[in-house]
Amino acid sequence: MANIAAKRIKREFKEVMKSEEVAGGAIKLELVNDSWTELQGEIAGPSDTPYEGGTFVLEIKVPETYPFNPPKIRFVTKIWHPNVSSVTGAICLDILKDQWAAALTLRTVLLSLQALLSAAEPNDPQDAVVAKQYKENPQLFHMTARHWTNVYAGGPASIVEFNQKVQRLLDMGVDEHDARVALSTYDWELERATEQLFS
Amino acid sequence: MSAESDMEYSDNDGDDYDYYGGQDDCDMEAVDRSKSDPEYFQYTCLRVEEVEKLLNESIELLSNSLQITPSLAKVMLHAYEWNAQEIIKKYNENPNEVLVYSCVKPRLPVVQGCTSRSICAVCATTPPINNYSALACGHFFCNECWAMHFEVQIMQGVSNTIQCMAQDCEVRVPEDFVLSHVTKPALRERYQQFMFKDHVKSHPQLRFCPGPNCQWIYRAWVREGARRVECQGCEMLTCFSCGAPHHAPTDCITIRRWLTKCADDSETANYISAHTKDCPKCQICIEKNGGCNHMQCGACRHDFCWVCLGDWGYHGSEYYECSRYKEDPNSVTDSQQAQAKEALKKYLHYYERWENHARSLKLEEQTLATLKSRINQKVMAGEGTWIDWQYLWDAARLLKRCRYTLQYTYPFAYYMDIGPRKELFEYQQAQLEAEIENLSWKIERAETTDRGDLENQMDIAEKRRTTLLKDFLEFNISIASGSKI
Repeated sequence: MANIAAKRIKREFKEVMKSEEVAGGAIKLELVNDSWTELQGEIAGPSDTPYEGGTFVLEIKVPETYPFNPPKIRFVTKIWHPNVSSVTGAICLDILKDQWAAALTLRTVLLSLQALLSAAEPNDPQDAVVAKQYKENPQLFHMTARHWTNVYAGGPASIVEFNQKVQRLLDMGVDEHDARVALSTYDWELERATEQLFS
Repeated sequence: MSAESDMEYSDNDGDDYDYYGGQDDCDMEAVDRSKSDPEYFQYTCLRVEEVEKLLNESIELLSNSLQITPSLAKVMLHAYEWNAQEIIKKYNENPNEVLVYSCVKPRLPVVQGCTSRSICAVCATTPPINNYSALACGHFFCNECWAMHFEVQIMQGVSNTIQCMAQDCEVRVPEDFVLSHVTKPALRERYQQFMFKDHVKSHPQLRFCPGPNCQWIYRAWVREGARRVECQGCEMLTCFSCGAPHHAPTDCITIRRWLTKCADDSETANYISAHTKDCPKCQICIEKNGGCNHMQCGACRHDFCWVCLGDWGYHGSEYYECSRYKEDPNSVTDSQQAQAKEALKKYLHYYERWENHARSLKLEEQTLATLKSRINQKVMAGEGTWIDWQYLWDAARLLKRCRYTLQYTYPFAYYMDIGPRKELFEYQQAQLEAEIENLSWKIERAETTDRGDLENQMDIAEKRRTTLLKDFLEFNISIASGSKI
């Protein structure tokens, strides 16, 4: 079984390397070890989205039963997105779960993930807090996602006000990421975020 | 049926004492029982071979009338809950719709050449052209890959719902196709076992006896309300509707809530309630170990929302109602804590009684065993025949049955709203309890008690039990089914 998995991954790796997306810098794939069981993917944040300019690193684990079972993929780079857990990076995408088909490849999966960044599925959320903000306060969601892209994915400089609020909490001795999560969760209301952090 | 049957008075000749522990009686008595026994429920106990025969009849009927292979018939019957007549009717109206609904054919027309037969898209090798196969959807893959796909699926416990390997293809793989690719005997056997289990589970008239290692299968035609079935093999009492231990007068949903609640003390139960939920369609226990709230049941493929357990299909815009609900527990007020304390007290009151009767019931088993050996001793010593002592045996069995019902009155009372109905129920419950204790006392001193006195007590206890069941079981069933019975 492992034989098929390694053979498939090797072929897919070549396929991705030759693809126009790699040439265009939209996706990237690297080996983590020699056994072809773990890879590292990278997708560029699509333009006209709050993720534009960011680079998002993915952890890809290939099960022994690949391609008959889906690869296990999660975001290593922290991201503010309705279908990705802001805590663990776990992804809600049908093709990585029950809609996986043995005929799918890593290239199609990476492109699907990129498409997911362009078009979130708020009705099929992974992170309920993010999804709620996405639906109820799209503008604030957009700004928060851009802020996260800037801080974690190397995106362009973001909102000054947000940085100041994070700094305020840092001054109180709060961990930077915890502060950012609390503020993002409570729609950047400093008072509510503080209350939650110190309760 | 109403409660006014004075008939039972004359019926009550001892025969109907047998139904909790004894053999099944003949049909004549069954007719009478439906009047005198409020728990009477028509069902049969079948062996695996008999069920196979039953299923095969449906499969044969369908494959003969539609001129299809038995394997395809199985796929369709599974999708239509074994209603062959409905399939035939619908097939005659619109064959395509039936085939698509059962996932025999793809939703969209087959695109020729969508998969190549020079390179297998799954293993990325180039087997010879005669080494490929495809289902009705026309997705060709090499036979080795099909075999591996089936192996992985079977090892994960999937049987009837194995799908084609192509992207977005929902076509289900029929049995003959699987078996033509799987060669390992152990795997084939496993697959066929899963298929059979899946067929029984998808059949609305069938239910496996939940007894440990029990091979019997019940068949009945009604699936609502507390429905008592007794296994011919292991003598276990089960509710046909929900598969839990028989629980009249409590209904299926209430007993489930109660049992989960009672199990709350143990770590496992804590874990189960914290990490798992039951599929709203097939009630299988599901652990969510990651991923989003859009769940698909691995057993029945039902799509639902993890948060509110609603159907996912109707869910889209309502999602945010669920998340709001989740936030509520965070805003606990002080008075709620006081309420919780009160609730705990109430729960403990009912739980202690429930537990106590459960323990007594276990002890009744021992009483039965010792009684049997005592009667045997007497018979051996020439003190009368077994028939002379039969009444003692009947009394002990009746006691067990009464305790059983009494035990299950506690969850019912726990969830009842305060009001005159609850008062009536608890009054009857107290009456039953008193008579049971009387009976228990008299059985313990059976040798010194007058036989007539004991039989009188048996009659009173059983009357109390049936009255309570009549008043509350039938009421529940008629509410559950929304009709008068």
